[in-house]
Amino acid sequence: MPTLSLNQVTIRYDGEPRPTIGSTSLTIDTGDFVVLTGRSGCGKTSLLNVAAGFITPSSGTAGIDGRSITTPGADRAVVFQNDALFPWLSARDNVSFALRMRGMPKAERNRRADELLERVRLPKAGGKAVWELSGGMRQRVGLARALAADPDFLLMDEPLGALDALTRERMQTLLLDIWAGANVGVLMVTHGIEEALLLGTRGAVMAPDPGRIVRVIETGFGRRYVAGEPVRSIKADKDFIAGRAELADAIFDGEPA
Amino acid sequence: MSALFRPMARPDLERLAPFDTELSDHDRPDALSVPWSRPAPEPTRSKRWSARWISVATIIVVLAAWALTAALGIVSPVFLPSPAAVAARFVSVTTEGFVDSTLLEHLGVSLARVFAALIASLIVGVPVGIAIGMSTVGRGIFDPLLEFLRPIPPLAYMPLIIIWFGIGEPSKVLVIAIAMLAPIALSAAAGVKGVNRERINAARSLGATRRQVLAHVVLPSALPSILTGLRIALGAGWTTLVAAELIAATQGLGFMIQSAAQFLVTDVVIMGIFVIAGVAFVLEFAIRRIEAVLVPWAGRD
Repeated sequence: MPTLSLNQVTIRYDGEPRPTIGSTSLTIDTGDFVVLTGRSGCGKTSLLNVAAGFITPSSGTAGIDGRSITTPGADRAVVFQNDALFPWLSARDNVSFALRMRGMPKAERNRRADELLERVRLPKAGGKAVWELSGGMRQRVGLARALAADPDFLLMDEPLGALDALTRERMQTLLLDIWAGANVGVLMVTHGIEEALLLGTRGAVMAPDPGRIVRVIETGFGRRYVAGEPVRSIKADKDFIAGRAELADAIFDGEPA
Repeated sequence: MSALFRPMARPDLERLAPFDTELSDHDRPDALSVPWSRPAPEPTRSKRWSARWISVATIIVVLAAWALTAALGIVSPVFLPSPAAVAARFVSVTTEGFVDSTLLEHLGVSLARVFAALIASLIVGVPVGIAIGMSTVGRGIFDPLLEFLRPIPPLAYMPLIIIWFGIGEPSKVLVIAIAMLAPIALSAAAGVKGVNRERINAARSLGATRRQVLAHVVLPSALPSILTGLRIALGAGWTTLVAAELIAATQGLGFMIQSAAQFLVTDVVIMGIFVIAGVAFVLEFAIRRIEAVLVPWAGRD
């Protein structure tokens, strides 16, 4: 059971008076669903990029079980806000990309890709070109592509940010189903307060100048969904409503709305 | 749509539902989808047609003015032969030939030169472009060389090529290839520089090595741009053809035009110009078709 940990990570860019991220720590275990939220520009994506290995912190360490993260790797697959699919490949070939990089034979990786497409409920999309798919379908292909790498951690940067509200609700439960069925630790960045509350086992609120985690809220609503409770009933729960207010307060830090 | 507003189902049932059929319904662009997922409105047909008809009318007017000028004898046929004379020449050069070769032979030789030059400049230009796009060292080395080469007219470097490489076939191909090199290398560089950063990150986080990123992400990303460069290069190469065939040629469209000009056979000159223009048009069309097949995603993404 690997653990991903960020220890006192700071990110400082040349010419910027303050660090983008100032001494922030975060730990994600297998089975965790950690949601990072906060206002725009508070460094949520930067922190995720450190975990992904896209940026090296100015100080502090990022590592998995003591091995430090220096480059991106298939143990930490990433889902991007703008899907970042490869438009020259079919949906199936996008999904099997990680397997192709490992040299898996074509027949086997196609079979695997079709299984994954079924898991994200796109059983018939394999042969489709990326531009034939809607935003929601593209995100699901992106999710299947990340899962194909069989990662220990799934890092998602506002995966539902560009979707319309209805598609978004469907995708939230899909994410929970996928998380429940895969042995992964999830780190997800979102702007949505309800989304953070519903999906996460833990919600971490960040504040800007410098970007840092100011509040961590343990939530268990995602687990309740996985255990069988309908989303409507979870969202109507007074704990959920109180949690939403608490999270909003933490995000806006007493600012008048 | 009604499926979306149905009362909440039991979650276990909800999970089992094949959400593909349902969701694809709602994923399809409709009034509820976000604006950028909707297809752009089609331009109205009448507008497109009217532009085309204006072009057709323009061509007819120009041809009529030419025919009229020739028919009235305003200009001597030595300078301006009639369209009919040019058409007749087209038939006679196609069947009987001019300066020892038929039109098809002239055309074949010219096309072979242009395509040989194209292949040579692709072999050199694409790697150079990738080097410029991917590394500071590459940019430092090749950028000034290309910027030096790019604005020089082929007629200016041709004498040097003759001094160095003689008057054989390689010199002709080289003159054309040099004209093609800059557009190919610069568009390959632009394509590589324009690669979506997130796609590279995505590939690396899916376990791709640097070499795999180059082969599976950078090259395909740059392909639309490289094909555009190829189209521009073919235009440039075709333009340079007449100059290249100044070098002791015995066949080729450019050679045919120049020989005809020396004997004041103006109808062959005009016919040759039309053939060159026509072939350029066909090549342009062919490459657009190739683009549609090879890079169907370009412009949709």
